[in-house]
Amino acid sequence: MASLLRMPEIAANMIEAVLNEWPVAENATFAAGDPIATVETDKAVVDVPAESAGVLVRCLIEPGKAVSVGAPMAVLAAPGEVIDDVDALVRRLVGGPPATADEPTPAGAREVTQNAEPASATTHARIFASPLARRLAREHNLRVEDLRGSGPNGRIVRDDIRQALAARSDEPAPAAAARPRYDEIPHTRMRRAIATRLSAAARETPVFTIRGSARVDALLALRGELNASAGVKVSVNDLIVAAAARAHAAIPDMNVVWTEEAVRRYHDVDLSVAVATEHGLVTPVVRGAQRLTLSGLAEVSAGLVGRARQGKLRQDELEGGTLTVTNLGVYGTEEFSAVINPPQAAILAVGAARPEAVVVDGAPAVATVLRVTLSVDHRPVDGALAARWMAHFLGLLEAPIRILV
Amino acid sequence: MPELHPLQPEATWTALVTTDADWDEADPALLAAMFHQLVLVRAFEEYVLELAAAGLVHGPAHSSIGQEGGAVGSVLALAPGDEINGSHRGHHQFLAKALQHVAPKGFDLTAELPDEIRTVLLRTLAEICGLARGFSHGRGGSMHLQWKQAGAMGTNAIVGGGVPLAAGFAWAGRQAGTDAVAVTYFGDGAANIGSTLETFNLAAAWRLPVCFFVENNQYAVSTSVAEATGEPRLSARGPGFGIASWRVDGMDPLAVHLAMREAVAHMREGRGPTLVEADTYRYFHQNGPFPGSAFRYRSKQEEAQWRARDPIELLAGHMIRRGLLTEAARDASVAGAKSAMEAAGEMLLEPKPGGKPGERRIRPAEWPDPAFVDVGVRGDLSEFDGARPGGDDVAVHEVKFIDAVAEVMRRRMTADDRIVVMGEDVHRLSGGTNGATKGLKDAFPDRILGTPISENAFTGLAGGIALDGRFRPVVEFMYADFMWVAADQLFNQVGKARHMFGGDGPVPLVLRSKVATGSGYGSQHSMDPAGVFATAPGWRIVAPSTPYDYVGLMNAALRCEDPVVVIEHVDLYNSTGPGPVDDYDYHLPVGRAAVRRGGEAVTVVAYLSMVAEALAAVAESGVDAEVIDLRWLDRASLDWETLGASVRKTNRVLIVEQGPVGTSYGGWLSDEIQRRLFDWLDAPIMRVTGGEASPSISKVLERAAYARREEVAEALRRAGEA
Ligand SMILES: Cc1ncc(C[n+]2csc(CCOP(=O)(O)OP(=O)(O)O)c2C)c(N)n1
Ligand SMILES: [Mg+2]
Repeated sequence: MASLLRMPEIAANMIEAVLNEWPVAENATFAAGDPIATVETDKAVVDVPAESAGVLVRCLIEPGKAVSVGAPMAVLAAPGEVIDDVDALVRRLVGGPPATADEPTPAGAREVTQNAEPASATTHARIFASPLARRLAREHNLRVEDLRGSGPNGRIVRDDIRQALAARSDEPAPAAAARPRYDEIPHTRMRRAIATRLSAAARETPVFTIRGSARVDALLALRGELNASAGVKVSVNDLIVAAAARAHAAIPDMNVVWTEEAVRRYHDVDLSVAVATEHGLVTPVVRGAQRLTLSGLAEVSAGLVGRARQGKLRQDELEGGTLTVTNLGVYGTEEFSAVINPPQAAILAVGAARPEAVVVDGAPAVATVLRVTLSVDHRPVDGALAARWMAHFLGLLEAPIRILV
Repeated sequence: MPELHPLQPEATWTALVTTDADWDEADPALLAAMFHQLVLVRAFEEYVLELAAAGLVHGPAHSSIGQEGGAVGSVLALAPGDEINGSHRGHHQFLAKALQHVAPKGFDLTAELPDEIRTVLLRTLAEICGLARGFSHGRGGSMHLQWKQAGAMGTNAIVGGGVPLAAGFAWAGRQAGTDAVAVTYFGDGAANIGSTLETFNLAAAWRLPVCFFVENNQYAVSTSVAEATGEPRLSARGPGFGIASWRVDGMDPLAVHLAMREAVAHMREGRGPTLVEADTYRYFHQNGPFPGSAFRYRSKQEEAQWRARDPIELLAGHMIRRGLLTEAARDASVAGAKSAMEAAGEMLLEPKPGGKPGERRIRPAEWPDPAFVDVGVRGDLSEFDGARPGGDDVAVHEVKFIDAVAEVMRRRMTADDRIVVMGEDVHRLSGGTNGATKGLKDAFPDRILGTPISENAFTGLAGGIALDGRFRPVVEFMYADFMWVAADQLFNQVGKARHMFGGDGPVPLVLRSKVATGSGYGSQHSMDPAGVFATAPGWRIVAPSTPYDYVGLMNAALRCEDPVVVIEHVDLYNSTGPGPVDDYDYHLPVGRAAVRRGGEAVTVVAYLSMVAEALAAVAESGVDAEVIDLRWLDRASLDWETLGASVRKTNRVLIVEQGPVGTSYGGWLSDEIQRRLFDWLDAPIMRVTGGEASPSISKVLERAAYARREEVAEALRRAGEA
């Protein structure tokens, strides 16, 4: 019986994935368990194994196309099955012309220009594990695929996890004398993603940095006043993000990203805010930041930060933006520079506001000074432009009432 | 050849017909009150039909047009303190009672109407349209009109379902030492249903001051009276039950009034219930704005004949003849009523944006907030503020379970003379069939009531007592299986009443229900009712496993403002266990379970007699199980804190119960556990239940049909292996 190969749901809540490659040619046979398609999500490249032996009759999707979960990708037939009219069969099974490249919606396939980072392959076969065992495995970075289940139907149960954990902590012990000189912290998917993205960025992007500093006593005073009255609490970082958004709105040529064909200048100012979480760094995007009032921005960003910490951000909340603001002020870091988050054009690294000696009207005085470093993708942005932006931005910090209006 | 002696029922059966002399003698103030009420009710009903035709009434609008004479004539014979209820066709009775309440001296439609009357019109109309300012915030609508302050105790969408409740109102009025009466209005169709007939009997047996007011409008939907019964003179039923009965022309409001005055006097004198049959006619079909003839079950001529005897025309004619009314004043009254309705409509409706000319819609702000949907399914438990929970200060010793049952009831009845117990044989046999009411009949002769065998009627009567609120009924079911014959009262009436009437009316009723599994009484006497009650919003469920718990849970049940079923098990009655030495006043708080044995391996959830069975099985099996005695079983009162903590510790659950799988309790619980605690489960939730069939009489088949310690032990063994 001919059947359809459909895009499997490789990860929970996955909507679509890219068909990377057809490891089997049309009309070629395969055995059960052979990879018959390679698909790629933003997290992984996965071989889809054949459930049983057969023939690949027709590929419906060209490599490089995104396909929604459950959508047909290929027509398969049983070994030796004779098919007279392949086109008719395809029509019967698929019920209409196959999804094509021009369909823009996630319901069909579409062109994918940007490759997500590859990760290790997993298979789609169901592994029986109790809900508790799955949760414990997740929490302890164990892969249920690596475990053997002792429960009914080979189900992995709590005790199997406990055993695996015990084995893990036992492992070095036999080597007795040679105590390990390091701990291996297995890569989480998030750590891998951070690594892949940023090393690609560092490789491909020509970056220059400019520094600046601002006296922020007025800004801190303003924040104190706002928080004494307003319902929403405004952080220093909210003021900085708001200032950056205003600066971007004032100097729209900074609100860009580089693409192969063109410099893309955005209408809205979408800024990412870097949030350190237990599992690593995430950069949710505040959208339309130029339109938000300060308290609106504070609210949105508090929401994003809160959900980031709980690991509840949606993928779409992590995508887009032209600039990231990253702030290590709480750690007392004086000054630092950061790596651009591709495809954004810049990242603003913000240090701590600290008392410093400054010169006021020719005489030394003490003021609270904030130091920032802007790293910029030189492809779409030149130095003079970035310098203008910096001057405007610092001006806002020093006359913060302008952030409010 | 035997001699044949014709027999006569004891009770009287009378047709009352007015004469011109009656019309001439009638008090002008009475006629005026009647006239203005009739005209206003008619205008109200016409307005409702207008809204129904415009699609502005969601659900059926059962019009009373044509039947107003019965309601107005009878309500005007009542006094404040008398209580009424009615059926799906109840706007007219409700309005008559509510208008009488706010304007006891009558009102004049040609003058500006007082605010109280306008408010009644507005709130009634709003309720019928399902709007927030209705008497029940739009929950009840047309068929559930309740305004207790006015003595309108709630109309009912179950044909005959309100009749037993009214017997309860009557009982409460009498027990409170008043001469108040209750009137229950229902149709010719409802004269055939069990609830009604059972209540005829119960009310007559107990000589309750309740009037069965039959609005015989000739049809039940499209079925005629003659088709539905062998004695179409429905008032003929009364004498067979020993009920004094009247038949009267329902199109003649004065005739209805005079008959009702006789009936009310009869009841106030303590001579028992009455039945009044008013022959009348609804001009329209069952519901909506079309005449019945449009649906072919009756003719236009028939409709025209009845319309020619219109109650308002009749009354106005006599009043004009006597110089009590002018034609101009009549027309002005009709116009005044109409404009009062339009003013009420104005408050609720507005032109539909973008609609056709004249098209209206409900003003958006009038709708109830969707968030209100489940509010008030049960009460807020504030009645427990200040209640004393049990604890270490309660001295305990070993007592017999059944003695604690009788003793706590004695204690509560001594302390609280609102409590009344009823059920079959509870007054005899030294405390009923099991001794649960031992010694109580002597101590409280008027509050321990042996009932006729009519679970639906006496459960409904208790429901009526609970709705009335002056007393707190305790109903005993000899066997839990009998809940099915009382199902309408338990589930449609008692369980839904609070929520359906707006969420804030208490329904303090306690049902004691006995499980007799294993006693050889077979398929129809062996049920555990917990599973079925757990599906019914409104009910709380307790299942005590020790004498100590029984006392505390019964005290909680009797304090609670919601209906509570107290499940008892015959296996426990003669068992002994810890019980109070002399303190019968503590209560066990709502929603608190008991951990009977701590353990790590699996959480065993049990209740009632299965707690001891589970503990024995655990001891036998050597599995380190934690055994939880739920105590409170319903969705709202389940102790998730204790259960959750246990499951998070053991990661396994075994729910044990005795009865058949079909009506079992554990189904919903296991669903809820997997929903709340999925990530804490290391194995599928296990259950012990009986088989599919209800237990048989044969001892071996019976034993094979239900679960006990052996089945629990077996399940524990499997849990240990898995
Ligand atoms: C127990 C029950 N059965 C059937 C119905 C459906 N039903 C609603 S009204 C009605 C007719 C009732 O006739 P009657 O008692 O004469 O009252 P009327 O409508 O004539 O006022 C029926 C069958 C119901 N609501 N309840
Ligand atoms: Mg009828």
